[in-house]
Amino acid sequence: FSCSACRASSDEKPGKFQPPPKPVIIDKLKQIEERRFLSPEFIPPRGRTDPLKFFIERKDMIQRRKVFNIPEFYVGSILAVTTADLYAKDKVNRFVGICIQRGGKGLGATFVLRNVIENQGVEICYELYNPRIQAIEVLKLEKRLDDNLMYLRDALPEYSTFDVNMKPETRLDHEEIPINKLQVRMKPKPWSKRWERPKYNIKGIKFELPEKVMKEAQKWSQPWLEFDMLREYDTSKIEEKIWKEVNEGLKK
Amino acid sequence: MMPIWTKSGKKHAVTLLKVQDCHVLKYISKEESGGKSAKLLVGGKNVSPFSRSESAMEIFREAGVPPKQKLTMFNVTDDALVKPGTPLYAAHFRPGQFVDVTGKTIGKGFQGVMKRWGFKGQPASHGQTKTHRRPGALSTNKAAKVYRGKKMPGKMGNIYRTSFGLKVWRINTKHDIIYVNGSVPGHTNCLVKVKDSKLPTYKEQNKNPPFPTFFADGDEKLPEDLYDEEMFQFTDPSVTY
Repeated sequence: FSCSACRASSDEKPGKFQPPPKPVIIDKLKQIEERRFLSPEFIPPRGRTDPLKFFIERKDMIQRRKVFNIPEFYVGSILAVTTADLYAKDKVNRFVGICIQRGGKGLGATFVLRNVIENQGVEICYELYNPRIQAIEVLKLEKRLDDNLMYLRDALPEYSTFDVNMKPETRLDHEEIPINKLQVRMKPKPWSKRWERPKYNIKGIKFELPEKVMKEAQKWSQPWLEFDMLREYDTSKIEEKIWKEVNEGLKK
Repeated sequence: MMPIWTKSGKKHAVTLLKVQDCHVLKYISKEESGGKSAKLLVGGKNVSPFSRSESAMEIFREAGVPPKQKLTMFNVTDDALVKPGTPLYAAHFRPGQFVDVTGKTIGKGFQGVMKRWGFKGQPASHGQTKTHRRPGALSTNKAAKVYRGKKMPGKMGNIYRTSFGLKVWRINTKHDIIYVNGSVPGHTNCLVKVKDSKLPTYKEQNKNPPFPTFFADGDEKLPEDLYDEEMFQFTDPSVTY
């Protein structure tokens, strides 16, 4: 019915077919901004080293990542790492644990996995770029309230035990990484470090200490630190450049 | 400094040394210098002419080369004569060679005997009166004097020292970088002198280097990276046993 009406109003050549306008498909999945994750060991530390050294190191890191997949993970995610071990049966050694710390920059970047096996707490520090690592699988990808979970050493062992035969958890690509707001219960004091002090800034412990002790700990707070301008290290611009460089390197 | 892994999975620490604008400045013959062998004067890193003295500027003008920050002498055999003005590159060294690296150590200022010479000092308690980091006795009773060269407090560091027998693991010809095993005297970004090793164990190993030096405009076309045989290259798959 619309075609004849158009012809009457526009007076065009008879028989000219106007194709209907193309439908516009809005892909809601693509609209969500692509989540950028740059592994923390790519960001160079502040110092007087020549930037050429970091560039050369990054080339090596990208080369290794092309051959061997290092997945995205955070402190608090559960990983399984298989390494080549000369003295083990089958020459491979598999260890499952929660990542409690990510340290080091460049090729020497490390991560510490913790687990409790047969009532014995075990922590192993692996190097991300060590060629003896055969595979790194992320069994559960999640974040915790802190960047450093060293306090799990003084927490009840149930918080550090993870099943060695755990199945990897599947998750959609575009979901936000879940933050586990677990508050951990601790063993009775003494602890290896005084975790209640503000210098550690721990949010993931449920302190069941008397208020007097908590107030006493606040004596060691240094409220001027957050205003210290010399300590500021804004990495946003550096991260942008390195992100582009790493992406281009991996695409080749 | 960077980690490096071998094909068997062992980790070694490595220092990166960049060969920055090195040119041969002068050839001094055996008779001229009065020594046992001919010498070659080599200059390092380019620097502004305002920071160099007039006498130094004459040498640079003669060689036709921009002014350099550091000048060093290398003892050379007579057949290793190189024309003044030729640039020197990192490919002068090859992976598997052994080198000695000389540099000025980090200056620590006036230091006491415990830090400077590693003395044990005295206990912290149990009645020690004002004596915890002192040297103690200087000599014996019979000597009745203090010997020359006695280890005492003084200025520590900021002197030339050499690390001998360092293995070269890798050479990057594009950026002129030498990867040398272990640590090297000096602070980050300081200028060092790299020579073929003088240790007797490495006398035969240094018999076939690029002689007299590596020429970039010559016939030899090198790949961007030269690796030692034992070194794990990141293009290979993971190490298995």
